[in-house]
This record gives sequence, C-alpha cells and structure tokens, in this order.
Amino acid sequence: MNLVVYILKKDVMYDFLLDIKNKFETYVPIKKDITRFKILDNPKDIDFSENSYFPVKEHFFRKKEVIFQFNGSNFLPVELKSKNKIFFGLRRCDLNAIKNQDFIFMKQHNDPYYTSQRKKAVLIGYHCTKALNKYCFCESMNLTDYYDLMLFDKTNYFLVDAKTEKGENLIRKYKKYFKKSNYKISDKDTYIKTRKINKKDISKFYDHKDWDKGINLCLSCSACTEMCPTCYCHEIHDNTEINNPRNAKRIRSWSSCQLKEFTSVAENHTFRDTKEARFKHRIYHQLQYFKERNKINLCTGCGRCITGCPTKIDWVKIINEMR
Amino acid sequence: MKKLKIGFYGITGCAGCQLSVIFEEDELLDIINLIEIQAWPFIKELNYDKKFDYIFMEGLVADNEDKGILLKLRANTRFMVALGACAHTGCIPAYRHFTLKENYAHLLYEKKENIKDIDPNPIDSFVKVDYIIPGCPPDKNEIRSFIKDIVRDIIPKPYNNPVCVECKRNNNSCLLDNKKPCLGPITRGGCNSVCTNNGLECWGCRGPTQQGHKMQS
Ligand code: SF4
Ligand code: SF4
Ligand code: SF4
Ligand code: SF4
Ligand code: SF4
Repeated sequence: MNLVVYILKKDVMYDFLLDIKNKFETYVPIKKDITRFKILDNPKDIDFSENSYFPVKEHFFRKKEVIFQFNGSNFLPVELKSKNKIFFGLRRCDLNAIKNQDFIFMKQHNDPYYTSQRKKAVLIGYHCTKALNKYCFCESMNLTDYYDLMLFDKTNYFLVDAKTEKGENLIRKYKKYFKKSNYKISDKDTYIKTRKINKKDISKFYDHKDWDKGINLCLSCSACTEMCPTCYCHEIHDNTEINNPRNAKRIRSWSSCQLKEFTSVAENHTFRDTKEARFKHRIYHQLQYFKERNKINLCTGCGRCITGCPTKIDWVKIINEMR
Repeated sequence: MKKLKIGFYGITGCAGCQLSVIFEEDELLDIINLIEIQAWPFIKELNYDKKFDYIFMEGLVADNEDKGILLKLRANTRFMVALGACAHTGCIPAYRHFTLKENYAHLLYEKKENIKDIDPNPIDSFVKVDYIIPGCPPDKNEIRSFIKDIVRDIIPKPYNNPVCVECKRNNNSCLLDNKKPCLGPITRGGCNSVCTNNGLECWGCRGPTQQGHKMQS
C-alpha cells in the first residue's frame, strides 16, 4: 500500500470517466439482464451491485484469433492491433485472475497475442466491501494486490490507491479529479468476508466418494470453464482455403478440459474419456496441479463456475463436507 | 484426380437443408468445382441415380415411398450423410412418439392411399448412416468443411461442443436462471447458439452431444 492515497469524489468520478473516455476505450460494469463490462456511454449506468457475469479475460486472451497465415511455404505474420483500454471496476478476484493469466501468457510464455492486448490495458479495481454472492470464496484464496488503481468505496467518495507506474501516470494526467490524502489503507479496508474453503490440499481426496455429488449432476457442458477468469486452455487448427489447401489461417480458440475432444488423440483414444475424470480434472487443476508446479492457486474464488453451471454444482461445499 | 460423385436428395422435409447447401453464396461455385454433382432433383433436370460416392439425404421416412427411395439410394452409394435434423433425429414429425395417438390421429391423411403414413423415423432406423450434419437447418460452414475434408481425403471431425459453449461465448444470460427450459447443456452445438442468443430456449434440434452421458431410456 502506498503512503499517499487519493480521494475521488463520487460526483467527480462521472466527470473523470467522461474525460478518460476520450482517450481510452473505457469498460465499466453495466447491469441489464446480467452485469457485463460494456463500453462506457453514460457514467450513470455504472452498477457495482454485483460482479460481472463474465470476466474480462476475452479482451486479452481472445476467444478466437488468427495467430498467423501461410501461403504455400511462406509464413505470413498477423498484424497485432490493439487499443488503449481502461477497465473500471474490476474485483479483486478478477484482478488476481489477470495476474495468473499474465503469469501464464507473459512470464511462462512470451505470447505476443496476449501481450499486445494486455500491455495497453489499465486495470482499475473496485474493492468489494462484502461477499458479492453466496458462491464466492476469495477470502480463502490468498489474493494479492494486483492493479494499476484500486477504488475503496467510502459511500460519498472513493479512496484511490495506485500500485503501478501506469496507475500513477493516469492520476498525474487527470490530477484535477483527485485530491491527495494521508489516509492509511489498512486491513479493515481490504478485508472481505466470504465463505471459506476448508481444504485446498485435496491430493488425498481424489478417490473420495463425495465427488459423486458433483459428477452425477455434471453434464459436461463446459459452461464452468467458459466463464472462469483463469482458464487458459485452447485449441489450434488450420482453416484452409477451399481452392488451395496450401493457403491457410492458423486459428487459436478457447477450449476446455470438460470436453471429450480436448484429450482425444489419434486412433480415437481419449485420455479423459469419462465425465468423472473430466470433472475432477477441472477442480484438481484449479486447486492442486497448477499450485504444485507454480506455487500459486490458479483459482481465485470468484464463484463463476458455480453461478454459471446449469445444475449449480457447488464443488466448494462438496470439498468442505469431505471427511 | 477423379471427382467424387455426389447426390443431394430429399425425402419428407421442408427442403430447408438443401437450401442451406445452396445458400453458400460465396463459395458455392468453388464447391461445385470440387465435386461432380450427379443428382440433385431439387434443382437439376437430369439426374443419374447410380454409383454415388456420397449421398446427402435430407428428410425423414414418413411413408413407404420415402422408405423405398432411401433403401434404393443406400444400395447405390458408398457413403450416406444425414443432412439436417429430420434425417438425423426425425425432428418435428417424429415428436409424435412422445404423445398418444389420439392426440394426432385426426391430423393424418387417411384418404390418399399413396401417402399412407408409416411410423415417422430418422433415416438411420432404416439404413446405415456414415456421417451426420445436424441442425434445423444445418450450418453452412459445417457443410462446407465436410465437403472440403472429403475431397481431400481427410476424415471429417464432427463438432461436439455443447450449445452452452457457444451461448456463454456469446455472453448471453442463462435461460435456466430465468426459470426457462433449455436443452443447451446436452445438445450438440455448431449453430452458434442462434436460439438462445435471441432469448429462445434451445430445444435440442442438433441432437444430443456425445460427451458420455448415461441416457435414461
Ligand atoms: S475455478 Fe471457479 S471460482 Fe475458481 S476462478 Fe475459476 S470460475 Fe472462479
Ligand atoms: S485444464 Fe480445465 S480447469 Fe484447467 S485451465 Fe484448462 S480448462 Fe481450465
Ligand atoms: S458447468 Fe456444471 S454441468 Fe457444466 S461441465 Fe461445468 S460442472 Fe459440469
Ligand atoms: S441458456 Fe441454455 S445454452 Fe445458454 S448457457 Fe444457459 S443452459 Fe446453456
Ligand atoms: S440453439 Fe438448440 S434448437 Fe437452436 S439451432 Fe442450436 S441446437 Fe437447434
């Protein structure tokens, strides 16, 4: 936490947003049937009452993109186009999910497609004051401060903490909206009380019969991984021209461990052929396998994989009840 | 290289699936160049009905004439492709299996002997089907990539993602959360969730996914 924090009054926030909108494609949470991050039109539409139904992941790790083309034996790179974007109102779980994706796509790998989108984005958080719904459990997930700016809601005004150069620069550039303050942000500002997960090391529970409570309700529909802010699995295929199969686009698109095809190989062999294996793999990857390799939990506790599940499989409850 | 000999046929159906082939406006001529269309009674005057490599069959079997045509064509082709939901699942006409006869008996044609009704069923109840292009109507991209694959001797891979995948990718809210029914989770996608995008429930026109559910009979 910085020594200097800033104050942004709520009525001033509207002017600030209208101002940055001229320079940045500005995304804010807007509630219609559900809450989605949408390009800002009228700042009064912003709604912080719930988290966005979908994460903003698609802006960086694109749902489907051409990664290069080839024409006979010639490699044709794609032009990496990106815009300056501001995301205003990201929750702590989702900021940590971006942290995990940054780790995967920018540290572990040097993924030019992700990086080109991500580099130009400014992340402005909105700190939850309480658990947003009955499914989230971020309190258990060791989240860290990962943002350019973070807003703490103090009813009539926000306290604003800058974490990065990008965040500082933004405040400097738009300083007329911000006032310095010597308030010290403490645990009582940053604590979010949510439900908990009572064991994150589930290595000994793989064969526990309680998994059936989830497996029996699972339809292998992949809604969970589609909505997860941390899932990074994808598939790659070539789309060839109809008249000339030597000309093609190589396309990367999202995929999911919940699908049989994800682990299907030649001779029709499928490594995770059963729903049981796929269901457990998701939970184990989110809680266990990724952590064993990389020392961080992949899951950030946002609860979307439960909210978005057609049968509302509460795997956290299942784990909590395992004896 | 010799071109594959192809036939497009329709039995009981609305012809919409055959239209989906024609609606490939941008690439129709390229496709036609790759194959030899030996028969397509819907749009062609001269049709040779022997020795096909592939027949794309639209529609379901609803009377004895359908059955006769289907059996004869199957004997004359190496591969039979079910084109669209009627051929694949029996679609709307076959829904009567889920109700009592007294609920539909008054709708049957009884006077005309030549269209005497038989139990409506998808084509795989009568003949071996080698590949299914599902959907009501089928998606033109799927038709195109299937033809692209077969002319290049690539084994075509059916699209098997559930509709939920596309529905979530289209950032829709979920109908189930609004207490509406939806078969999306267990239905094979590829339609870009066109129904749920517009707030209509998925009624499963593309048939069940093959994700390994135990179906209760
Ligand atoms: S696994 Fe579920 S709770 Fe964890 S980050 Fe993904 S969607 Fe959120
Ligand atoms: S393996 Fe499954 S749970 Fe893990 S990141 Fe991939 S899709 Fe998500
Ligand atoms: S969303 Fe629910 S039903 Fe669908 S694959 Fe995930 S856990 Fe299974
Ligand atoms: S509306 Fe239907 S297809 Fe869409 S996510 Fe919900 S259950 Fe799946
Ligand atoms: S959403 Fe369902 S009913 Fe609609 S086209 Fe797709 S599979 Fe058919």
